[in-house]
Amino acid sequence: MTDGAEGGLSEFARRWASALAWTSYVPMNRGERLAALAGFAERLATSLLAEPFSEKPGWEVGAGLVKSAFAAPEALGATIQLIDEHLLTLAGIDPADPDARARVARLLGALATGYSWALRDRTLDEQEAIQAAALKARDQAERALRESESRFRHAALHDPLTGMPNRALFTDRLDEIFRTAGPDARIALCFLDLDSFKAVNDSLGHHVGDKLLVAVAERLTRLAAAMGHVAARVGGDEFILLIEETAGAEDAIKAAEAALEAFDEPFRMDGNTLPMTVSIGIVERAIAYTDPAELLRAADITLHWAKSDGKSRWSLFDPGRNEREVARYALRAAMPAALDRDEFGLVYQPIVGLAERTLDGVEALARWRHPELGVLGPDRFIALAEDSGLIVPLGLRLLEKACVEAARWYATHPHAPYVSVNLAMPQIRHPRLLSDVASVLNQTGLPPGKLQLEITENALMAEEFETLMRLRDLADLGVRLAIDDFGTGYSNLANLRTLPLHGLKLAGQFVDDPDAAFLRILVDLGHTYGLTVTAEGVETREQADILRAVGCEAGQGYYLGYPTDPDTIASLLGR
Amino acid sequence: MTRPDWVPEGIDTAQPSAARIYDYWLGGTHNFAVDREIARAVTDAAPDAALIMQANRAFLRRAVSFLIDQGVRQFLDLGSGIPTLGNVHEVAQKGAPDAKVMYVDIDPVAVAHSRQILAGNPHATVIREDLRHVDAVLDHPDVRGTLDLDRPVAVLMMAVLHFVPDADDPGRLVARFRDRIVPGSWLALSHGTQDGMTREAAEIGSDLFNRTSTPFVSRTLAQTRALFDGFDLVEPGIVWSVQWRPEHPDEVGDRPERSAAYVGVGAKR
Repeated sequence: MTDGAEGGLSEFARRWASALAWTSYVPMNRGERLAALAGFAERLATSLLAEPFSEKPGWEVGAGLVKSAFAAPEALGATIQLIDEHLLTLAGIDPADPDARARVARLLGALATGYSWALRDRTLDEQEAIQAAALKARDQAERALRESESRFRHAALHDPLTGMPNRALFTDRLDEIFRTAGPDARIALCFLDLDSFKAVNDSLGHHVGDKLLVAVAERLTRLAAAMGHVAARVGGDEFILLIEETAGAEDAIKAAEAALEAFDEPFRMDGNTLPMTVSIGIVERAIAYTDPAELLRAADITLHWAKSDGKSRWSLFDPGRNEREVARYALRAAMPAALDRDEFGLVYQPIVGLAERTLDGVEALARWRHPELGVLGPDRFIALAEDSGLIVPLGLRLLEKACVEAARWYATHPHAPYVSVNLAMPQIRHPRLLSDVASVLNQTGLPPGKLQLEITENALMAEEFETLMRLRDLADLGVRLAIDDFGTGYSNLANLRTLPLHGLKLAGQFVDDPDAAFLRILVDLGHTYGLTVTAEGVETREQADILRAVGCEAGQGYYLGYPTDPDTIASLLGR
Repeated sequence: MTRPDWVPEGIDTAQPSAARIYDYWLGGTHNFAVDREIARAVTDAAPDAALIMQANRAFLRRAVSFLIDQGVRQFLDLGSGIPTLGNVHEVAQKGAPDAKVMYVDIDPVAVAHSRQILAGNPHATVIREDLRHVDAVLDHPDVRGTLDLDRPVAVLMMAVLHFVPDADDPGRLVARFRDRIVPGSWLALSHGTQDGMTREAAEIGSDLFNRTSTPFVSRTLAQTRALFDGFDLVEPGIVWSVQWRPEHPDEVGDRPERSAAYVGVGAKR
């Protein structure tokens, strides 16, 4: 190199840096950049003087430039120009020396080659890296999408409170089982409903109620997992155990028993000890003979049986019971129309004075002349009417009919029998009872004393002031009041004394009493309160004799007279 | 932001990305054809584009070196982009090997690439987050695991706030970061501007960036200065990027406005 090569070298580096400025970003400070370029310049200059000459340093410097991030195409052009013009001078060689110029040309050729290779490799590497990053990012995005979809799916199919499968997932699963089941496969559902859950919510708050549900869910989930069943929460406090591949109802009953046991231990939360029970409806069927909707309906029905049978128990679906209930439901639904069509009527059973065998009275007994089922007795429909509330208009209609007949008898026979009509609780509770009875008596002209109203013991149990007042008002009208089926229900005996009653009717089971001891007590009890005692279910002469012997005033039963139509009663009067 | 959190965005490499376009102008090849197409079109309209980006990157280097000299050992680089040459952790850890660097970017490809680059570096981490979600950024477990917000931290917002529209109130955004860092912490930012450009060049540049997922918003010197509310700017205040503590007068050039970005570094009071 020439004298002052140091100065020449740094000047060369400064020019080089200036030529490369803004061609690409180089992550070095100015000093580092100048030093790097000075280093490259020195290697190139030194190589020109080397013997034997090799262009390899040119290749290395070209690659080194790229490696140092002087990697713009403009950087290569500027570098070639600078080296071609100034390197020989920097190296202290005559720029006109043809051999030296040839060496510079070879050096530059190698530099361009090395630069290009390095740039090509770097480009490929970076492209691979960015492609890989893009793929990875896409993978992550897709995975996130899948996870969010599965999270969404999970959220759609699970109950957020307990994390249990919800009704949607349960229904999906049930449908799938029905779709894929073999011809002989059987399945069972245990439909669980907490008893008195509402009371927990109402008394301790939804906060505790929710915690209780979570705790219940945990127990049921654990139980289901242990038994290989599926547990789902299908409503507020409703859960279902899905039992696949049952061999028979026993498998389902086993699961239901286990579920009941799971409630043996009370639940403890927030310092409260909550003893809980559960009612369970079980249905177990061959898949081929049912469908998911029917299965669920059956389980639901059975659950209500378990509830109405007293809760904290399981109940197994019984097709017979179901048919009866369906028939009852159909009957109940048909009653309003039947009332409109006047299908309800009365038959009259004699109430006979035992001393003289006189026709003291008749009990009006309801009949439904059903167009398809024939004549139905009160046991088939009165409870349904009470349930639906139809008993009030129905009872009034029957009362009218009874009074019309009794008035007809009375018109021809002043000693005609009283007519005894049953009153159901809803009728007694109804505020219009008094005015209805008064207006029927008024319209028919029947003297109040010829009407007896039979009420059950349970009506006396009710300490409802209103009800008792209403009975007193009826008595004030002059209507006879009798307690029906005395001795079979619960009586508040105090009311026997305070209410203006006229009679007691003893249920048939007491008449059957062979030693008559209890019968005597009941008759004496009636007499103690000044009541006339009538025995029902008198079927034999012996029974009639015993009754008379213990002082029972009247009797009613097949021995004394079958229920019959009003004309027959009238003809009895004429005798 | 109507998208619920659980719906992830897709990765669309057919959509140009500001981070990869920036890489192209720095001389990198971490970019795709869609990015280069935009970059070339911008360069046609504004030939200084590459200079602008390189000047910005050089400012980043000088600012980080300055902060290291001030004793800062924690860096939060918001909108870090493609980890091309001269990353914050390279600059910072050269001066202080234990310097902690937290990168944040919204671009999933940039983040995935950063993760490749940073594998094995215990002091530098990246998360994907929108810097507009200040609390999500600062409360991210990786951020809490990397940075101690009870000690001074340098918040870097390099060439990123011009992608935040006025509707998202960049001033408020900076203030929310400011309010969660301790006094003695730092803010270093650069903000693109079209103050020094012809209207035509400015419009073409804006139009082209509007094709990326992050449209460009130019702001003035005063607007850039206002971002430093609550910070004491160090000398020389808010200047063109090439003018900020240059290493040599030659580096500034005759027309510093060509760098088209206002920059500044300030310490929280």
